Amino acid sequence: MSSTEVVFLAFFSSGFAVGFGHCVGMCGPIIISLSLSLREKKVLIPHLLYHAGRITTYALLGAVVGVTGSFTGVTSRIVGIQKAVMIFAAALIILMGLAMVGWIPLGRIFTDSFRPIGFFSRAFRKLNAACSRGAYYPAGLVLGLLPCGPVYTALVAAARAGMESGEPLQGMFTGLWLMTAFGLGTVPALLLVGRIASLGWLTKREVIYRLSSMLMIALGVYFIVRAALF
Amino acid sequence: MPGSPNDRPLLRVVSKPHGGLTGLLLCLFFVMGVAGSSLSGDAQAQGDPSAVDCDIQTGPCTKNLADGTVTLDITPKPVRAMQDLTFTVTFSGLKPAADPFIDLGMPGMTMGPNRVVLKRAGENAYRGTGVIVRCTSGLRTWKATVTVPDKGPAEFVFDVVY
Repeated sequence: MSSTEVVFLAFFSSGFAVGFGHCVGMCGPIIISLSLSLREKKVLIPHLLYHAGRITTYALLGAVVGVTGSFTGVTSRIVGIQKAVMIFAAALIILMGLAMVGWIPLGRIFTDSFRPIGFFSRAFRKLNAACSRGAYYPAGLVLGLLPCGPVYTALVAAARAGMESGEPLQGMFTGLWLMTAFGLGTVPALLLVGRIASLGWLTKREVIYRLSSMLMIALGVYFIVRAALF
Repeated sequence: MPGSPNDRPLLRVVSKPHGGLTGLLLCLFFVMGVAGSSLSGDAQAQGDPSAVDCDIQTGPCTKNLADGTVTLDITPKPVRAMQDLTFTVTFSGLKPAADPFIDLGMPGMTMGPNRVVLKRAGENAYRGTGVIVRCTSGLRTWKATVTVPDKGPAEFVFDVVY
């Protein structure tokens, strides 16, 4: 096994470890929220598309830190975007929580039997219909920018590897491949969370359903507070 | 095509409630993510090995190792996350057989491997650059484990500024 393969494997292993040790706790609510938008069957492809988007973002960030050889130079420029993405994710979770508890009419809008009356309802319905399975890839692209400690740590190592590779172009590809390996490593844990969230053996527990809605709202608010403090 | 099985709205909410198990999972993650920080604080209050034992913001910290001491300093001050930092390790009473290194991590939180490679920078001194990343949980306590080949590790637990 070449040294490149060893480093690639190290990044994959690191992603696998932090996937189960960190991502499940920190990103689990987002994965579950995304799972809510799927029917009970065929959840794998949308989730894979979402993770493909996330990994693409990691790879692009890896390429940038690899070619520049600087972690702080890159992250200092995207901190504002990351904050906005964090607030966007929080807003999405709150929106879903409010709809689930019935405090806003989005739930009815999303059902097939809903017959929109007003202009805005019809427009929202069309917009929602346009959000096909393919929407999970761009969602992953955007949410891949969420601020995350282990991703930062991997980017630090990718920047160092890029700098040590000697040439900028080689550094770019080094960073790209290493962050791809890291991202791939995080997939199994998050796929598992998404799969578990798709099981419906408690769907008839109305009280728990209501509680989960409230908890989603609370989590969304917590994420917004975190984003404000970030 | 509207109405086909492939149309899976990104925000389908009430029509397929997976909310039961979702609630349990969210509870679990909430406890893991939020209460985890409280547990960390309790551990520190009870004299846990991961408790802060180094005021790196005011100056270098020293630990005993084998027959001598290891002193760690991080500059510039204040020591902030997400900026380039210089790590300086000085030895007294012991000579490393090879270049030492520093592993950075958070007590009780998996953050991935973050190693600072140190190079000799004078008599009994080694220096290297690295970055302490920021955790979105808001926790600020970090641990630097200085490993000296053949002598073992010395741990420094300190708070950084966000």
